[in-house]
Amino acid sequence: MDAFNNLMYGFGIALEPMNIAYVFAGVFAGTIIGMLPGLGPISALALMIPITFAMEPSSGLILMAGVYYGAIFGGSTSSILLNAPGVAGTVATSFDGYPLAKQGLAGKALAIAAYSSFVGGTISIVFLMLVAPLLSKVAVSFGPAEYFALMVLGLTAVVSLSDKSLVKGLIAAVIGVMISIIGIDLQTGTERFTFGSAHLLDGIDFLVVALGIFALAEVFYMLLRGGGGKEAPRNAIGSLKLSRSEVKQIAGPVSRSSVLGFFTGVLPGAGATIGSFLGYSMEKRIAKDGDTFGKGNIKGVAAPEAANNAACTGSFVPLLTLGVPGSGTTAVLLGALLVMGVTPGPMMLEQRPDVFWGVIASMYIGNIFLLVLNLPLIPLIAKILDLPRPLLLSLILIFCMVGVYGMSFSIFDLLLLLGFGLLGLGMRLFGFPAAPLILALILGNIMEESMRRALQISGGDWMTFIDKPISLSLLLIALLSLALPLLKKRRKKVM
Amino acid sequence: MTTLSLKRFAVLALPMAALAMTTSAHADEWTPSRSVEFVAPANPGGGWDTLVRTVSRVLQEEQLAERNFAAINVPGGGGAVAWAQIARDSGNPHKLFATSPPIILVPLAGASRHDHTDFTPIARLITDYSIILVEADSEYQTINDLFDALKENNSLSIGGGSAPGSMDHISVAGLASAAGLDASSVNYIPFSGGGDAMTNLMGGHVEAVITGAGEAVGQLGEGSQLRALGVSSPERLGGGLADVATYQEQGVDYTFDIWRGVMGAPDMPEEAVAYYETLFTEMLETDGWQQARDQLGWLDAYQDSETFGAFLDEQKEQFSSVLSDLGLLRQ
Repeated sequence: MDAFNNLMYGFGIALEPMNIAYVFAGVFAGTIIGMLPGLGPISALALMIPITFAMEPSSGLILMAGVYYGAIFGGSTSSILLNAPGVAGTVATSFDGYPLAKQGLAGKALAIAAYSSFVGGTISIVFLMLVAPLLSKVAVSFGPAEYFALMVLGLTAVVSLSDKSLVKGLIAAVIGVMISIIGIDLQTGTERFTFGSAHLLDGIDFLVVALGIFALAEVFYMLLRGGGGKEAPRNAIGSLKLSRSEVKQIAGPVSRSSVLGFFTGVLPGAGATIGSFLGYSMEKRIAKDGDTFGKGNIKGVAAPEAANNAACTGSFVPLLTLGVPGSGTTAVLLGALLVMGVTPGPMMLEQRPDVFWGVIASMYIGNIFLLVLNLPLIPLIAKILDLPRPLLLSLILIFCMVGVYGMSFSIFDLLLLLGFGLLGLGMRLFGFPAAPLILALILGNIMEESMRRALQISGGDWMTFIDKPISLSLLLIALLSLALPLLKKRRKKVM
Repeated sequence: MTTLSLKRFAVLALPMAALAMTTSAHADEWTPSRSVEFVAPANPGGGWDTLVRTVSRVLQEEQLAERNFAAINVPGGGGAVAWAQIARDSGNPHKLFATSPPIILVPLAGASRHDHTDFTPIARLITDYSIILVEADSEYQTINDLFDALKENNSLSIGGGSAPGSMDHISVAGLASAAGLDASSVNYIPFSGGGDAMTNLMGGHVEAVITGAGEAVGQLGEGSQLRALGVSSPERLGGGLADVATYQEQGVDYTFDIWRGVMGAPDMPEEAVAYYETLFTEMLETDGWQQARDQLGWLDAYQDSETFGAFLDEQKEQFSSVLSDLGLLRQ
């Protein structure tokens, strides 16, 4: 009952009136930041460091953590309503969320996102509380070879994400990997595909591609089709209520994805975006109605939303127990903690239990706040779909432009956004799926870097990927997940 | 070409500085007439950003500056995008930016058209040092043990937090060459940050790691999984690093500074430079600064504009020679 006592101690801290106010302020600000593309949790947290400087460290971290998971929670809203992901972690939510909204089920999609986020968040806090110190060993057991194998496994999802034509899916994935290569190569310092432009040295921001290929391409597509009379009446937001059978349907995906998401989050460098993709593609493969994923399946909203929120909590494991940041966002949190005089790491549990347990307890409260805050807001926010089409389209356009410009203050990125919008439109017109491109873009870079790093360490010996048990088993799972659908297909053909 | 202009700069520097002192004594004291743009040439969260935000905050809290210092992030190209922007703003006394070794390394690697000679040095403020870490139960006790092992087997991997040819790599390659090894023989494995590198060390995926001492201090001490072999400072550091021997104590004559400072737009007027010099000297004295500095693991390393400029030229020579040993000099 040690964990229980510690948790009660944590609640003692988190339930102080000021701290309750901080949790609320944090998750509220986070929800809004998450809804707006461009202003991600990283920049928001960096801007907050001066505010938290004078705070009690536990209050400061409670506030900042609230902004972080609040942003992931809120990011699904614009993914579902506008096909414009607010943060990178919610890209996968738009695959099924947006089709649902188009069918007049926006309310349901948003409600599922909110419930799944809540469950994913809460399950992962339980994990964080019970096994965080043990998990720090798992986090460090992943070296370059293991990451490479994990990324290979992730990439096999291309097969399930390319709905009709596998060849077209693979082409999209190759384009994604190519985009991920742009910029200075970390291994050699060489510039690749930058065409001498300083703007491309750091590569292309993931959100520029995602907003272009999803949101902007959708706007172009609607303009091209014109009229729009054939679509369902937009004013139908639909009910927020889930039927019993719907709850049953999503229960499995949500719990599986919560666990998967949490462990992905624990690995430094993986994080919410990869977690949500893994959750989505896992459920698509498991589901009997897997072929309706991407056309508005509620499981396709539930899985990534549970996974990304769980991964967000999971990313606190390496931060709090090892003192190393697993992502850009946790790097900023680490910086903020150092400024407040707290050194996260193996000694933190003993030296600053108030911070550790206070934050964990505050996450329970924060997740409840998020649910209570988001559910009543859904009908209000979903009203955006009632706007006349010309207004709505212009709004999405402005939304994307401002978001991208706000990330880098660079006109160049706006042109890139436009370019990716056109690419997305072309892909759509010729039946190329966008999801494999996005997946390959996320995984490609880490996969390449880890492979080369692993080979550099092993002195060029490829056996390093097979010698390590974790790497070997991940590669075997990847092989299996490739072989099974092909076998299934063949069997179908024979029958 | 560059070395020629550098020499000319050095010859001119002294009389010009003398001239500057006499004129500034006569001229009316310059003060900013609007808010000062203080650029971090990177995204929020990194070293430059932390410096910019900390300095702006301390100046405001201690009410030292007449005008507000506005922190601005201009990310891209490891700084190159911001430098290109600021280089166009010649003579603007209201534009400063945070700087550190990349202002020399990035141009040397051929990734920026502008280098430190294009800007006005204002002041060096702080420094950090490199530190070599191994796993707590590693057989290596001193840096000499590590380098002896490297001599036997040069495939032993040393991880760092930045790309080849940037700070961590230069630091360890220079150390290796001071220890009698070939600089290019170090099997340097670049990770995407010091934290990433240290995680890999904890998991035993690399043999040793080089990173910033400030970043490593939280990982050392009782109950930790990592141990420090040596630090690149001229003298032992304080606090949690007091037990870590310097390279020099261990018989390798080598030091490496990860300095950070402030530069301004090209050809900034002398009076403005003098104003900022005074401002930063005053800031370093305040309690607010000293508190923030200690918490962030920084050490004061103030140099005024002139000394800083000469220091940058020295650094460039030192870095060029290491980079050319490594075959990474592309200028």
